[in-house]
Amino acid sequence: MATMTAQETIDDIRQRALAQLDAAATLDEAIAWEREFLGSRGEVTLFLRGLSALPPEERPVAGRGGNALKQELGAAWERRHAELASADLERRLADDAVDVTLPGRPTDLGAAHPVSEMIDELSEIFALLGFQTVFGPEVETAHYNFDQLNIPSEHPARDVWDTIHVDLPGEIVLRTHTSPMQARVMEQTEPPVRVVVPGRVYRYEAQDASHEWMFHQLEGLAVDRNITMADLKGTLAEMARQLFGAERRIRFRCDFFPFVEPGVDFAVDCALCSGKGCRVCKGSGWLEMGGAGMVHPNVLRAVGYDPEVYSGFAFGLGVERLVMMRSGVDDLRAFAGNDLRFLRQFARAA
Amino acid sequence: MKVPVKWLNEFIDTGLSPAELAHRLTMAGLEAEKITTIGAEWDKVFVGYVESVARHPDADRLVLATVDAGEHRLTVVTGAPNIAEGQLVPLALAGARLIDGHSEGQVYKTLKPGMIRGVRSEGMVCSEKELGLSDEHEGILVLEETAPKGAPLVEWLGDTVIEFEITPNLVHDFSILGIAREASALTDRPLTLPPSFDLDRAPVAAEDLVTIEAPDLCARYVAVVIEGVNVGPSPAWMQRRLLAAGVRPINTSVDVTNYVMLEYGQPMHAFDADQLAGGRIIVRRARPGETIETIDHQQRELTREMLLIADAERPIGVAGVMGGTNTEVNDATTRIVLESANFDMTSIRAAARALKLRTDASARFERGLDPNLAREAAARATRLLLELSPGATVTAVADVYPRPRLPRPISLPFSEIERLLGIRFASAQVLEVLQRLGFAPRLEGEGDAMVLHVTVPTWRSDVTLGADIVEEVARIIGYDVLPERLPTGQTAPVHRDPVFALQRQIRSLLTGAGAWETITYVAVGEEDLRRLHPEGALETGLHEVDADALVRMRNPLQADRDILRPTLLPSLLHIAAENLKHERGVRLFELARLYLPGEGELPREVNGLAILLAGARNPLSRFTAGSEQEGDLDFFDLKGMIETMLSRLGVECATFQRIAFAPLHPGRVAGLFIGDRRIGILGELRPDRAAAFGIEAPRVAVAEIDIDALRAAAHPVPADVRVPRFLPVEQDFAIVVTEETPASEVEAALRAGAGPLATAVTLFDVYRGPQIGESRKSLAYRVTFTAPDRALTDTELGKVRDRIARTLRKRVGGELRA
Repeated sequence: MATMTAQETIDDIRQRALAQLDAAATLDEAIAWEREFLGSRGEVTLFLRGLSALPPEERPVAGRGGNALKQELGAAWERRHAELASADLERRLADDAVDVTLPGRPTDLGAAHPVSEMIDELSEIFALLGFQTVFGPEVETAHYNFDQLNIPSEHPARDVWDTIHVDLPGEIVLRTHTSPMQARVMEQTEPPVRVVVPGRVYRYEAQDASHEWMFHQLEGLAVDRNITMADLKGTLAEMARQLFGAERRIRFRCDFFPFVEPGVDFAVDCALCSGKGCRVCKGSGWLEMGGAGMVHPNVLRAVGYDPEVYSGFAFGLGVERLVMMRSGVDDLRAFAGNDLRFLRQFARAA
Repeated sequence: MKVPVKWLNEFIDTGLSPAELAHRLTMAGLEAEKITTIGAEWDKVFVGYVESVARHPDADRLVLATVDAGEHRLTVVTGAPNIAEGQLVPLALAGARLIDGHSEGQVYKTLKPGMIRGVRSEGMVCSEKELGLSDEHEGILVLEETAPKGAPLVEWLGDTVIEFEITPNLVHDFSILGIAREASALTDRPLTLPPSFDLDRAPVAAEDLVTIEAPDLCARYVAVVIEGVNVGPSPAWMQRRLLAAGVRPINTSVDVTNYVMLEYGQPMHAFDADQLAGGRIIVRRARPGETIETIDHQQRELTREMLLIADAERPIGVAGVMGGTNTEVNDATTRIVLESANFDMTSIRAAARALKLRTDASARFERGLDPNLAREAAARATRLLLELSPGATVTAVADVYPRPRLPRPISLPFSEIERLLGIRFASAQVLEVLQRLGFAPRLEGEGDAMVLHVTVPTWRSDVTLGADIVEEVARIIGYDVLPERLPTGQTAPVHRDPVFALQRQIRSLLTGAGAWETITYVAVGEEDLRRLHPEGALETGLHEVDADALVRMRNPLQADRDILRPTLLPSLLHIAAENLKHERGVRLFELARLYLPGEGELPREVNGLAILLAGARNPLSRFTAGSEQEGDLDFFDLKGMIETMLSRLGVECATFQRIAFAPLHPGRVAGLFIGDRRIGILGELRPDRAAAFGIEAPRVAVAEIDIDALRAAAHPVPADVRVPRFLPVEQDFAIVVTEETPASEVEAALRAGAGPLATAVTLFDVYRGPQIGESRKSLAYRVTFTAPDRALTDTELGKVRDRIARTLRKRVGGELRA
């Protein structure tokens, strides 16, 4: 085999190298190519290292040509490597694809009971209206549960509350309403008073879809100079609008509760039919929410407030009832049933 | 109270439809609960005239009646024993909807013409039951002679009945007259009173006919002696009205007293005058040991507080509650004493309660009747009795009324109306409304000093205060005119209830950790507590509970669940058992009160938290099936949840220590301590205890924590929050200790040795094996070291490592593995 000139060697290496680089189909082949030609024992490196063995007259040409080749092949390799690396990444990504319609990894969250959720919501609404949320005992004396509320023991009004008695000395009952806190709060504070009292209440009542022996109420009380029934109506309307929509209206109907005078029950127009009458409101267009009125002068007097100076409003509503109205629940017993299939349906961010 | 509208219309013509009237009254405080129409189904029933009655050719008990109802003339086959020529009867045509007379209750069927024993029957003559008027099905209903032949039956017998719920303050509305008065005030239409007998014209009775020995309990007693009465069935119109109002007709004497009670609200009673020993009526308290058989044939034992009606010898009635059989009017009676009296509300209420005998009479008396009503009602009843017994006469009238009740005057500033309602009404409007209600109002003075004087009629015993007058004005004008405002003025001081705040935090943390909040009944039974403690003391793990000192209900809804729970666990276990019937796993909690014996008159109510975890740890998914994570919830799931909660609440000083608590697995139970005080328990329920609640899950982890105690240890937001500026250094320590050394002590020693530079200590492995020897374990911790002001050097950390080694050796006999 005839001996090649330096230039011929350079041309030969270039030709083979570029052809081989073109043929490299994978990143591994490209890396092997780099080692073969440009690595420390690569052909180009060896060629450049062998320059000193060349006749002196060939050295400048061979040197320049060799370095140019090194640069050319280096650049070519960079290009090819980048191409292959990119193709390789795409291939790996393609291999990593998933069926995005498969379900995700479950994040198991629980939820508050719908009654607590409603109490929280009411507490927040009333906090914005300046009402503090306070709590009282569930086992109560007849003094606070009845007497302080203008419900004397011999009056038939007492029969309205079917009472569960507690086996303790004196007349101790499971509170039949959250109203005893009216007197407890007023006894401990000077006006102005603005409180709401959520909590469990108890009635001696056979259970059915609309009666429970244990349920929750929220009591409201505002006492000051110049508190009027118009304030009561506005306050309840604000609450109803927060819960059931901005266009809701409140209606008062004369009713009797011994601890208020005048006394009313209050209803909100049915959100489903806007008061026209439907299945939910049983055709009446209105949904009863609770009882309310102006604090009875006897109740104010019993806690040492002068009824000629101070006036106040009070209201009470059933918390479960609000949940039932809002979510269409038709069986009150479901709340104490705590069936997870029931509770899950309320699980929404509030 | 059921009010037949035709009856009401005798008192007032309101010009309103029954539905409108019911609505107006409802808004004014008389709630109409139900409106029913008598005859709503009678579109094919007419008043028919029985032209002829002929024998059925093939049946002895059936007859063929030819009935003429104007446009319709039919022959019907009937078995009615009382049908006769010349009667007016209800005639139902084919297609009429009638109640099946032979079925129990009210089963509707549609009438079809048919062959009865070979004769075609085109329609039917109806019994009261078939028309839905009563349960009477012995014979057909025979109409009065004045019934209009051929007219639809509904025109003659149809009515609308409005059923009102009468609130306990209202006694004046407990009558047709009272409701008519309300309607009159609301519609501004005049009231017409039905005809009465003028008692003033009757002879005055001998002075000793009526003696009131207990004037404190009997304000008035009117007695009317009537001779020649004819006791028999009442006329059909009266019976129908009574039935429509929900009262069963009995005989003329009883029916008239009931009829007038419904009309006027005044209960009355008729005694057989010939059975009155000594011909006297004495109103007195019962004597010890006295008994009476009341007309419901019950022997009643009387007590000294009870007010009696007696004759010269014996009790003849429990005043205001029920009469006695010994003087009961019967078919043979010809002379009666009609009682129309006024008894003390409190006494009647107590007697009715003691005798467990609430009657229409006692229900009215216990609301406090107007004594002025007694004579008016007696006059009306007398008139009716005379009408029904032609030839009867009033022979004597007694009226013992020592202290007549007078109308009550009330005065209030006119401005009181605006002060309470927040709206100003014109004085003329206020006066007019009060007049319409039968009040006598009068204004005095001018402007702000104007005073409203009102004389309140005696039938309005519920109106005693200025606020009551304000309500009268508001309810008649209507609350719809009230504006909506929000309270103005000074706001109340700000106070956030700390327990409520803590409960909300806990709720948010636990729901975030996958738990569901429950709200369960507060009652448990001793059996529930015994499910946890089959024997021995009923401790709760948190509080000393003496079985005798449990707080119990006197009248629980369920006799076997009479305890106000001292622990939340049984309730939560019941809920878990129910849910596990359809759930793979449950994470439940409840925030509620525990009831413990108190020092004062009330029990101590402690705010508790209970958590329960049982069943599969993860929901079924493709990620967990068959993998390590596919396991059951256990003690460490629960503990982890509690640790996270405590950390987030800023409870830093809590420790978990091994304790004994009988219902829980002896090897998997811990107390949660703040200092020396146990504020919670947690562990796995013993499988036999879980089975007692019907739970089959292999592990049931439960915890109960006193959150009042927890609150004292919680520190919400740290006061020294820094931004870290240097990288942390992590080092691992494998510590070999004896098997029985608690991990908590090893960690405590590690932390003590590491000092303040250790900002996190995490146990990541527990290893047992031959390399470390028998009865020993190796605990591997990763410790994160951070200094706030410098990068830590190897030298510094080397010193710390030496100190850790020394401390471990000294405190727990632990060796660091290389």
